[in-house]
Amino acid sequence: MPSKRFDQAKPFVVLGIVVLTWILIPVAVKSFLRAGFYELQAPIQVTASYARDLQEYWAERTHSNKELMEAGRELRHVYAGYEFQAQQVEALRAEIARLEQLLRLPSNPHYRFEPARVAQRDFSGWWQKLVIRKGANYGIPAGAPVVYSGGVVGRVRAVHAYTADVDFVTSPSVRLAATIENDSRPVSYQGGDNPPLAPARGIVEFVPPDIFTSAKDPKRLVTSGLGGMFPPGLTIGYITRLEASTDGLFKSGEVALDPRLSELTEVTVLVPLNPE
Amino acid sequence: MHRRWLITFASTFLLWSVVVQLNHYLAPLGAYLFVDGLLVAFAALRLSLRNGLPATLLMGLSIDAAEPVPFGTHLLLFAVMHIVIFRLRTRIPREETVIGVVVALLANLALIFGLSFVTLGNHPAAGAAWMRIFADLGWSQLFIVAIAPWFFALQERALELGRVDLAEESRRPF
Repeated sequence: MPSKRFDQAKPFVVLGIVVLTWILIPVAVKSFLRAGFYELQAPIQVTASYARDLQEYWAERTHSNKELMEAGRELRHVYAGYEFQAQQVEALRAEIARLEQLLRLPSNPHYRFEPARVAQRDFSGWWQKLVIRKGANYGIPAGAPVVYSGGVVGRVRAVHAYTADVDFVTSPSVRLAATIENDSRPVSYQGGDNPPLAPARGIVEFVPPDIFTSAKDPKRLVTSGLGGMFPPGLTIGYITRLEASTDGLFKSGEVALDPRLSELTEVTVLVPLNPE
Repeated sequence: MHRRWLITFASTFLLWSVVVQLNHYLAPLGAYLFVDGLLVAFAALRLSLRNGLPATLLMGLSIDAAEPVPFGTHLLLFAVMHIVIFRLRTRIPREETVIGVVVALLANLALIFGLSFVTLGNHPAAGAAWMRIFADLGWSQLFIVAIAPWFFALQERALELGRVDLAEESRRPF
């Protein structure tokens, strides 16, 4: 009888051993295991991403010469506009350097722009992350800001040998110091409002009570530059709704994010040139 | 002996890789497929503890390595789920595909709640997150109903190709 009882309990004894073993395994071994398991499956993600690129390439090959000529013409116009803007940026940079020297201000952080393809999107109710196809092999550091033409994408959470995980701006783990355009007072942005079958939204807190906004007249929310991670002035989204917070001292509300964010295929990592 | 859990792990890993790719395409639509219950069900229902549990634990570690959760979360959740199913399997006709599908659905439900309680501790919009999780649970259960018979057949054929006698394996107490 005791033997039968032990047989019935054996699965739970095994479970106890598994749990105990896991608790007792040193952290270094767990880190090694995590890196090992990740690197084993990374080639699958990257190969799938290259397969998508190939699919896109063959789809683009079907465009007619006429369509390509029209696209080239449009690109020339855009290029001319950007060339002029690049000249203006150079002039402004020189002016900033002159003022910094004159006022003996510490210079703003400088970044190297590292474009990277998106290998995988993973947007669930628990987390929202991207995997990009560049990692330690391109000198991507953990914590680096990730941007695209419309503003903030997120920040690098983990760096692997050939890939990096990016915490998406809609992820609850992303919290940023922000300001409302033309207002220097800092507010707090956090991701996490991800409704089903609808675009993700952000949450803004500690908004001064004299700020008013509506869906028809939204206010642009930009990075403040506080904390030194993200450069100032990058678009996070637009505040569409504000209401008094429970303490009555501030307002909190919703931030509408660019719908293009969830379909990104290419992002840029800002790699700090003078990391502290 | 080793090939039993290796074959099961390989076919489970294949399913998970396919679902990861599906989730990539579903991301812009605000939907997500969660099939962890299906990843545990076959090994727990049809293999001995000695061969089934290693496959389940390896799968848990693989998911833990890729997802932004504390390392070991899936490992422990999967281990608990595997043991619970294994303990209860003598009371059900576990060779039946329909029973396998029902077990996979129940395991998926339990795992989605388990993972939610672990990860949603400091969520800034917990209400919205739960709404999203319930919606994702709905799509995921429908998806499991659609693919589970194929997946169980795939696992059985893979084990047959590996010259594993599943009936004999299934009869082993541990």
